[in-house]
Amino acid sequence: MTKLTQSRRGFLQTAAFAGAAGLTGSIPGISWSAEGDTLTVRFDREMESLDPGYYVGGHPPNDVNWCLMPSLVHYGPSDNGWVPSPYVESISVTDSTHIDFTLKPGLMWSGGNGELTAEDVAYSYNRMKDSEWKGDYVAFDRVDVTDTYSGTIVLNQPFAPFMSLTLASGTGIINSKKALEAVGGKYTTEPPATCGPYVMEHKQAQYVKMRPNPDWTGAKPAYANIDCIFVTDSEAGALAFEAGELDCAKITSTSYARYQKELPENGALTVAGALQYMWMGINTENPKLADPRIRKAIQMAVDVDSIVAGAYSGTAEKSAGIICPGLVGHRDAPGYPYDPAAAKALIDEAGAAGLTLTLRTLNASERVLAAQIIQANLQQIGITVEVIPLDSGPFWEMGQESKGDTWKDLELWMMRFGAGPDPFEATQWFIRDQVGVWNWERWSSDEFEELYAKGIAETDTAERAKIYVRMQEIMEETGGYVWLTHEPEVFIHRADIAAQFAPSGEMQMAYFKPS
Amino acid sequence: MLWYLMKRLCLSVIIIVMAVGALFIMLHSIPGDPVSIALGPRATPEVQAAYAAKMHLDKPIYYQFFIFLGDVAQGDLGVDVFSNRPVALTLGEQLPYTIALAVAALGWAIAIGIPLGCLSAIWPNSWIDRVTGILSVGTIALPSFLVSIWSILLFSITLRWMPVIGAGDEGDIVDQLYHLVLPAFAVGLGWVGYLARMVRASMLEVMGENYIRSARAFGLPPARIVFRYALPVAVLPTITLIGVGFGGLLSGTVFAEIIFSRPGVGRIIYDMVLARNFPVVQGAVLVTIALYVVVTLIADLLVSWLDPRVRDTF
Repeated sequence: MTKLTQSRRGFLQTAAFAGAAGLTGSIPGISWSAEGDTLTVRFDREMESLDPGYYVGGHPPNDVNWCLMPSLVHYGPSDNGWVPSPYVESISVTDSTHIDFTLKPGLMWSGGNGELTAEDVAYSYNRMKDSEWKGDYVAFDRVDVTDTYSGTIVLNQPFAPFMSLTLASGTGIINSKKALEAVGGKYTTEPPATCGPYVMEHKQAQYVKMRPNPDWTGAKPAYANIDCIFVTDSEAGALAFEAGELDCAKITSTSYARYQKELPENGALTVAGALQYMWMGINTENPKLADPRIRKAIQMAVDVDSIVAGAYSGTAEKSAGIICPGLVGHRDAPGYPYDPAAAKALIDEAGAAGLTLTLRTLNASERVLAAQIIQANLQQIGITVEVIPLDSGPFWEMGQESKGDTWKDLELWMMRFGAGPDPFEATQWFIRDQVGVWNWERWSSDEFEELYAKGIAETDTAERAKIYVRMQEIMEETGGYVWLTHEPEVFIHRADIAAQFAPSGEMQMAYFKPS
Repeated sequence: MLWYLMKRLCLSVIIIVMAVGALFIMLHSIPGDPVSIALGPRATPEVQAAYAAKMHLDKPIYYQFFIFLGDVAQGDLGVDVFSNRPVALTLGEQLPYTIALAVAALGWAIAIGIPLGCLSAIWPNSWIDRVTGILSVGTIALPSFLVSIWSILLFSITLRWMPVIGAGDEGDIVDQLYHLVLPAFAVGLGWVGYLARMVRASMLEVMGENYIRSARAFGLPPARIVFRYALPVAVLPTITLIGVGFGGLLSGTVFAEIIFSRPGVGRIIYDMVLARNFPVVQGAVLVTIALYVVVTLIADLLVSWLDPRVRDTF
């Protein structure tokens, strides 16, 4: 038996040789994305849950679910409307509170959980009434099951956006009753059963790979495989696209501005929607801001053109309310002008010259830049503003009464909400019940409440437009809002790919195809 | 040596417990309600209460800490609150990528930095020394995230030689090594300069020692003097530096993991801090601390083995 010995000098020499050996190696060939039948896209964050009742944020859960799970309708390719999904023989709105549907037979759930049936539809929608997304099901009453494949969705009141806001969105996903009950009625990132053109392979913080579902009997998607790579940094995502490793990536306004000047080879830009609305909120109950003349002056003093140019490189759209461009009730211009001279006069009239205020914002580069522009604007009318950048934790709870007393000190803040493709969703956060929850401006109005209820039930588009325009006027008249921007959801993708997106900005990857 | 080893092991355990305690307090001192942040605005009070109970957030902070320590002692790092996966499983998947990146970065830095330092010391004030000095200071001054972006722009976008994202296909070791090149280059570049400067200074000191002068007087070949008698002594402080620096490398890998979208412990900590996924953050930081302590311990033991005088000073 040989005794293994190692001298100190020998160790050092061996380590030196090992280090030198580490330098040698060969460079293999590189393989680029979108070759053949594989599509490679960027996911900007990990998924917490795919459960339609409990997911957080539309992307990426919806992007994944639309590849794996059934739903009755999907968003159409070119507008905000809906189209029947590949899972239904037919679906039709029979009257303002009834929707008939018939599923295609022979669509099988994975894991031996049987066929997709109308019972699954009824179970899935009933379950949503008690979920975290129950707001989308405010008008849903029940599903009357007619037979194995057919049924009728019954609403408790007319609800115009039910098809586009509820059924076509991420909350309209259907689960297998048998499989979901077997796992206790709730899940996170592993659906108990899937029924779609793809099956999923998920490696946390690395990728989601979609591979063909061998049991799928419906139409095959154009891309047999989809690799969704988690690239959390937006600029890294853009660079990866330029390097040819991604076929489609969501980009920031900075990259958008850069690509508008010069697109990478074989690149194309698609604006998937501008369903974000950002405003500067003003606490109407704060003693410093109680005088409506001060709030009016602040509204008139903010130069939104400079914010769009300076903070968003000209890529965002000026906002005039909470209803986003392209939706019923969108306004083209706010009801107040940009007039710093008049604003200064109002401040002097109110005796508020020398006022000092705080402006809180999320600590994101665009928003901090925008806040600094507002700071300079308000300085011109005699208001000194201290900008307070905050991380998401303290920011999102600062106006909520249930989360402490910060709401009492709130003066100005910059806020951005995302919306669905119907004006109802945006207005729900400003009703009386939301004061101290999400209505941080802390106002309420009987007329607003009446219009809110009326807007849900109204089905005539012109009438709905009047309702939602008036609701935004009421908000503006409180002096609690300075409308800022609608930021677009922009994707860069290969020019030879016809990409399809939901109006809320998620990728409908099963509909991507070579152009 | 055994007594020294025992003392160092005890100290390592104390360091880990104290570091975890400090981390725990800091993590829970961050403003904001972790329940509302984790579950979003739509969560019902019942769901919020269930989450708080599951995470022990309804218990006093010291209680939460001892629960965590007790679980760790049993090898249980907790469960990811979103995916319900064991944290240990998640970290077990991520850790090899971080270690591979740190080792590769340090490996090439050692392979380049130490010879450069030797050359500078052998010919002080020569053009080699001056060029090495400029390069060393330059690489030390460059932040790794900047090197990452520049290297992507040059090698991936302009030349299209190297991949940008991911860690390569599983099971394909060549592809994984290929994906390691740019991140390791970015993370290790600064260390080339550090090591070159360190070895140069040590070598110059050792080369002035009496025993080196005696070796020269005996007419030994210069290469033999340098590599057999000077370098083994001069490299001792470098080993300590590498041990301590490994911790810095672990933090340096965070940038690379984010920019190159590589899996790894640093990136998972970053993502999970934003998501307030406390069990994963706690587990990941604990593993990182343990790794750092172990590497430092190994470096100390190596130095004490190579230079027995060190044992007596502890």
